[in-house]
Amino acid sequence: MATLVAPAPRSQRHKELRRHLLVYAGLTPFLVIAVFPIFWMAITAIKQDADLYLVDAVPFWFRQAPTWKNFDFLFHNTSYGAWIVNTMLISFWVSAITILTAVPAGYALARLRLPFAENLGIGIFMTYLVPAIILFIPLARVVSTLDLQDSWWALVVVYPTFTIPFCTWLLMGFFKTVPFEIEEAAMVDGCGQFGALLRVVLPVSWPGIITAIIFSFTLSMQDFLYSLAFVSISEEKPVPLGVATELIRGDIYFWGSLMAGALLVGVPVAIVYNLFLDKFITGITGAAIK
Amino acid sequence: MSWWRTPTARRYLFGYTLLAPAVLYVGLLVGVPFLFSLYLAMSDASVGSPVARFVGIENFASALENAVFYTALRNTIVFTVGAGILKGLLGTTLAFLLLQPFKGRKVIRALVVIPFTLPIAVSVLGWKWMFDSQFSVINWALSRLSLIGTYGSPDWPVWLGQPGLALLSVMFVNVWRGFPFSAIVLLAGLTSVPPEILDAAKVDGASFLQRFRKVIVPMIAPILFIGSAFDTVFTLSDLSIVYLLTNGGPDGATEILPTLAYNTGIRGGALGRGAAISLFLFPLLLPAIILLLRTLRRRQY
Repeated sequence: MATLVAPAPRSQRHKELRRHLLVYAGLTPFLVIAVFPIFWMAITAIKQDADLYLVDAVPFWFRQAPTWKNFDFLFHNTSYGAWIVNTMLISFWVSAITILTAVPAGYALARLRLPFAENLGIGIFMTYLVPAIILFIPLARVVSTLDLQDSWWALVVVYPTFTIPFCTWLLMGFFKTVPFEIEEAAMVDGCGQFGALLRVVLPVSWPGIITAIIFSFTLSMQDFLYSLAFVSISEEKPVPLGVATELIRGDIYFWGSLMAGALLVGVPVAIVYNLFLDKFITGITGAAIK
Repeated sequence: MSWWRTPTARRYLFGYTLLAPAVLYVGLLVGVPFLFSLYLAMSDASVGSPVARFVGIENFASALENAVFYTALRNTIVFTVGAGILKGLLGTTLAFLLLQPFKGRKVIRALVVIPFTLPIAVSVLGWKWMFDSQFSVINWALSRLSLIGTYGSPDWPVWLGQPGLALLSVMFVNVWRGFPFSAIVLLAGLTSVPPEILDAAKVDGASFLQRFRKVIVPMIAPILFIGSAFDTVFTLSDLSIVYLLTNGGPDGATEILPTLAYNTGIRGGALGRGAAISLFLFPLLLPAIILLLRTLRRRQY
């Protein structure tokens, strides 16, 4: 009489299946809207020019053989190679400045029981919210005083204005989770406060420090306004600015190369950001959860 | 022994020394420029002439006399509020969907947050291509479904070329980029509510609605405040979407305060007037900043 035993689990399974189907049905529109533009950019990047403008056939696949010539164009007819180098160098220096300032600051705010530490921490974090659009005009003056206009070094000076506040806050939260005992033990063993920081706290804090470096990189690559305002020489541009300004000449849009250049840098950034997204959200909201 | 030699004093000295570089950097490059922008806004500084004259509130007054300013102000508010509501609705729906246990959840979550993780200039260029006046893939699909006519006919939408549609299009791109952020922030809040508390409320006889109103909402409120404050600040001050898609056009239909400030201050070279326009954003930002400050400070006690 197996049929008498079976119904319960089967209806259970049916219910489970129906729930899955409902969830997937609800998620499908979100997925399509989120992913389609990326698919469309990717296929545009490897289509031949004529293929882009065939209006009669279905555009979602190739009517002519796929091609790498849009990528060739980027590297041979524009300064794309230089833009990549600039972007990497900018991000490197911004990360270095950020780590050298935010690690000590985050540590001091989290662990040294300083008077006003909490308010100072909030104060530094709030500067993350003073938007570029209010700061870019006075910073233009700072940049020209330092004689850095039209050089990517201008961006190295300016980007830490948002990476330092964010990473200080992130690291402050992180240092709070490192147990106090290990530091005290080190100081009993004869380390000074600084020695304890260097030899005991930093070595166990590398996940937090790596996260801070990742965000210095990704936040630097998310900028558009500062680079637009401060850098106008082609060879000095970072990738997002270069792609957006040099592949549109008058009324002519190099759509294939535009998409190729945008995705070549955008996709790696998106992947890394994606992996660290939860840390970013905790960085922003962490203080409210704890 | 003098106080300066006590361990506490040495700890303070050590601590403030560690803090100094970050505080100085942020003070010199955020604090001072902010004050400097107040000064610039009250001067006739321009790119060409380094010596600026004090002109009082003239820049603010001349902004208020300019019809484009009011269009920009209105668009900024419509843009921020409209997009904010849409992001809230879509983000909440997505968060509750992602809260369900189902197969492939991690993969789907990773795919659905892509819009937020792509650098903004990159994705906006993709949208510019999709909104192309003639070769828009959106129009191709709508046309095949017979929802619109063919290219050249009066019901062929030119997304970035028609005033009403252009404002909707730039808002749509902002929503597209922002809804995953709203969803993930809300999800972080919802998963931070310990199940024991909900179980306890259930045992005490609280209905689902009561549990939602009395337990879940108060517990996730701080996270929601912080998330929406951030989103509001980013949306209010973001120039790249409008700059790259329409640069304020057609005919000022998508002009917002950031594009007006950029075009006046940097392109037009009138630093003082540009600074004055961008400072009009500050009162709009203030509610978000105050909300955030109160949320952060309350948790101290």
